[in-house]
Amino acid sequence: MVREMSKEKVYIIPCSGIGKVFGSIGRETAYIVINELAKGKSALECLPLIVKGKKEVIDRLKLNKVIAIDGCPLKCSYNNLMENVGKVDAQFMTTDIVKENRDLRPEPSIFPIGEQTKKLSKKLAEKVAQKVDDLLKQKEEGE
Amino acid sequence: MRKKVGIIACSGEELLGGTLSRAAARIVVEKLRPQATIILCEPLFAAGGLERHGGQGERNFAKEHPTITIEGCEEECAKIAVEKYSGPAAATIRVDEFLKAHPELIPRSREDLGKDGMKLAEIIAEETAKKVDELFISE
Repeated sequence: MVREMSKEKVYIIPCSGIGKVFGSIGRETAYIVINELAKGKSALECLPLIVKGKKEVIDRLKLNKVIAIDGCPLKCSYNNLMENVGKVDAQFMTTDIVKENRDLRPEPSIFPIGEQTKKLSKKLAEKVAQKVDDLLKQKEEGE
Repeated sequence: MRKKVGIIACSGEELLGGTLSRAAARIVVEKLRPQATIILCEPLFAAGGLERHGGQGERNFAKEHPTITIEGCEEECAKIAVEKYSGPAAATIRVDEFLKAHPELIPRSREDLGKDGMKLAEIIAEETAKKVDELFISE
């Protein structure tokens, strides 16, 4: 379901990992959220730019809700957001969606990703899109 | 210790160049020079303060091994991070230059490179592999 357009945006920051498929799940999840499930009310930013401290990006994230999606326990997205933006409004681990769906084993391939990986990403994207709605509602209600 | 070259792609999710950099890095590490290269994670590498969470290994690797950066845009996040924390990058590959040099190849999108995009990623990867070879010869 494509949700309605809105002015406020929730920024989705996946971890950028390219060494393992768990990073790919995060990235694919983010694309599904911004292009399909929460189109118009969510957006992406490059994590490397956040790490670099690009001022206009940091300022934008400070003014909006931010969701981190991480693929490993080092939590690059979450930790870098905390370090550079000073807040994270919600966080997800791709490993959790894998644990919750034992029947879906993500293929190791990172380019291109496999069908099971896509299915897991869709499942996680549904959760993230729901969180987008929750955060926007929270913001509308003045928190 | 057997010599390895680190490959660090900008990996930016928002831009087509980030996807191309990531695809090229994977092609080098998985197919073209699997024995000679290792992939480094850019945000883990660059993160200030991540040391306490265990991210120092990437920086130490780049201090002790030559590292090639693949940049998806003019911000050159990977190169800047390597130079800041580990020393000069051994080489820098700029995706923009390949996009300009191959106007006949039009990647579909950042989400899905399509046939042309993957062909372009292969060209970028081949150039990166040549740099890997040069680094092996030079030492």
